Amino acid sequence: MASDRVRVRGVSIYRPIIYGNTATALTQKERDVLPTPDHTHRWTVAVRSAASAPDSDQVGGADDLSYFIKRVTFKLHDTYPNPSRNVDKHPFEVSETGWGEFDIHIRITFVAESGEKAITMYHHLKLHPWSISLEPEPQAPSADVALKAGPVHSWQYDEIVFHDPYQNFLNILTSHPVTPLPKTKKKPVPFHIANPQSLEASKGGVPEFTALMEQEEAERLEEAKRAIVKEQEHWRNILIEKEKELEKLQKQLAETE
Amino acid sequence: MAASAADVRSALSIPEPSSTPGPSQPKKTAAPPTRKPEGISRELYSLIGPSAPSLAAQLAKPRLKQKPNLGGGGKVKWECRAFKNPGRQDSLELKHWVKATTEPDAEYPFAKYNVQPTAYTYSQDEYTRFLEDKEWTKEETDYLFSVVRDYDARWYIVHDRYEYPGGVPRQLEDLKDRYYSVCRKLVRNRPWAGDEASKAALISSFQFDKERELTRKKYIVSLENRTPEQIAEEEALYIEIKRLEQNERRFKKERDELLRTIAGIDSGLPDVVEDEMVMNLTIDTKKKKRGSMAMDIDSPSTPAMPSSAPIPKRPQTAKNTAFDVANCIVRTEPPSTVPITKAAHQPAHLRSYKLPVPKAATSQKIGQALTELGINHTRLVMPTRQNIAHLEALLDAAAALVETKRVVDKVDYDIKLAKTRLGMREGQGAEGEAPAAPAESMEVDESNDIGEPVGEDGRAQSVVSTRSARSRKHTRRSMSISSVDTSGTAATRTKRQKRS
Repeated sequence: MASDRVRVRGVSIYRPIIYGNTATALTQKERDVLPTPDHTHRWTVAVRSAASAPDSDQVGGADDLSYFIKRVTFKLHDTYPNPSRNVDKHPFEVSETGWGEFDIHIRITFVAESGEKAITMYHHLKLHPWSISLEPEPQAPSADVALKAGPVHSWQYDEIVFHDPYQNFLNILTSHPVTPLPKTKKKPVPFHIANPQSLEASKGGVPEFTALMEQEEAERLEEAKRAIVKEQEHWRNILIEKEKELEKLQKQLAETE
Repeated sequence: MAASAADVRSALSIPEPSSTPGPSQPKKTAAPPTRKPEGISRELYSLIGPSAPSLAAQLAKPRLKQKPNLGGGGKVKWECRAFKNPGRQDSLELKHWVKATTEPDAEYPFAKYNVQPTAYTYSQDEYTRFLEDKEWTKEETDYLFSVVRDYDARWYIVHDRYEYPGGVPRQLEDLKDRYYSVCRKLVRNRPWAGDEASKAALISSFQFDKERELTRKKYIVSLENRTPEQIAEEEALYIEIKRLEQNERRFKKERDELLRTIAGIDSGLPDVVEDEMVMNLTIDTKKKKRGSMAMDIDSPSTPAMPSSAPIPKRPQTAKNTAFDVANCIVRTEPPSTVPITKAAHQPAHLRSYKLPVPKAATSQKIGQALTELGINHTRLVMPTRQNIAHLEALLDAAAALVETKRVVDKVDYDIKLAKTRLGMREGQGAEGEAPAAPAESMEVDESNDIGEPVGEDGRAQSVVSTRSARSRKHTRRSMSISSVDTSGTAATRTKRQKRS
């Protein structure tokens, strides 16, 4: 229908997603059966909806995103066989084993109705547990320690924004409502490097994204802004005093001429 | 059912022989009829009896207003007590009468009304950036602000005392206009800690329309200055115009009726508003020319208007908002100026791609400042629309802070430069001048200060550099005397702190 291919002006519509990985250290027994015994971890990299399904043991993925995502391409390290992995259906994820961290190139292609180009992003595959110290760990923790610490999660929340969508694409999107993020925290907080304080809260199980995290970040930003404005007031007063002093000195200079 | 004798009697309203109740009658109860309910007068009750409508019984008895309980029975004791007003700077003690029951160490209840308005100050840099005005110099603006502060923004007093040497005469409105516009600009341009609404409220509280105020006052003056004859004439004219209007209305009605009788009711007569029609048409053509899609209801007289692509504008109801939130839709007004082309379309993107970035020149310092506060401005945990807006505000505030610090450094450098120059010059001058004996310096100060403050100040400064305690005192003294404005003491204080 012709009217479907009309852009709806003044509307932007977004879909919250998360992308990242979960990694589990392998036991010696598991490693032995692998064709590549030097691999220490099994990991899964994925693009999912942000909200977690109730009673699921994975981060996010409450909604099936294939209504607007046609394909997700994960480009792995070149040493993997067939490094460019295309996933054309839900769940959009790739599981592999490995021993090292590297950047994964993720490319999201949208369904044809969207009329949009693909978008790309990077995710640094995280195998070893988070730590606050800025220096990279000199040596990856030993296998026993890693096993005891449990799976490692590294997820980034983001929102895919469509501006002025086509009418039929908008219809597709609105007919798949988004599962909202839970209002309360029931599971650990997903750790993010931008908020090192969340390290403690991130321990102890499969994390979950919540609306609280957004609020919490907004508060952190507001708090920082208040601190800066206060500092600014302080410096402005100093400046005004100094300017008065300078003015006086200049007057003296002018009069002694 | 057999009717008893009593029934017959009552039907024929024959008085009952009270003393001899028949055997068939139930014995009358000796007790008086049930107590009369409240809210019904005795006479009425005796008329209608206990079968009174239940509603009436519920009516409250018309009662007088309850007497106010004055004084709670006993007498109130009053005491004359001394008190201190915390709103005052001095420790003046006054006495007032209070009830003996009030606590002796209660805070003075009116102290909280001593609210100090925020005194706005601005730096040279801010002045040159936002506050330049060709009618005002910075010095006069400074003076205005000091007077306003002194007289607590009581504008008539401010205007009365306002006397800037060598300045043009200012009206009260000029002063207000300048003051409020400066405050507005400062609030608008400074980073704001609170939310946007409170900022807008503050700005609107500084709103001042000089032209309107002047017109208003002129109008009041002209009203006040009318002579009795003028007032009488005005009234006469007013009555005249009312009369004319009435006449016209009557005439129009008669004309309509006449035309209707002649031409029939349904002839669809035009009203007597031809000129209005013409006006409507011209407006419409203008609208068309502009090509605006403003299809409003106010132009119903143009059915020929092409309604090819009416924008389906749904009213933003609560239901729609809920729908939008559930579907993550954000509606913005489409910018009408941008031509709708394929190239102008903003492609789909990740929200985090649009994170605000500080300007390259200051980004390092801003990053440093934010890192100290534990904020990583290159990545957000939850890059939602609100949080990006928050981050943007934060970056703006940080940029302003970095800028202020930069200017402080510059002024610091200038001060140092001026001091060295002054020191050098004084070094030369001191040799020519008679060496000031420390013993007489005080007297010299007092007498010479007004006439020739510079030499004293300058000398004091150069002496200060030798760091003798005495001369330091000297500096302070001469500075504070010679300084015209109140800020002098503050400036001296900082200097002293630096020195010591």
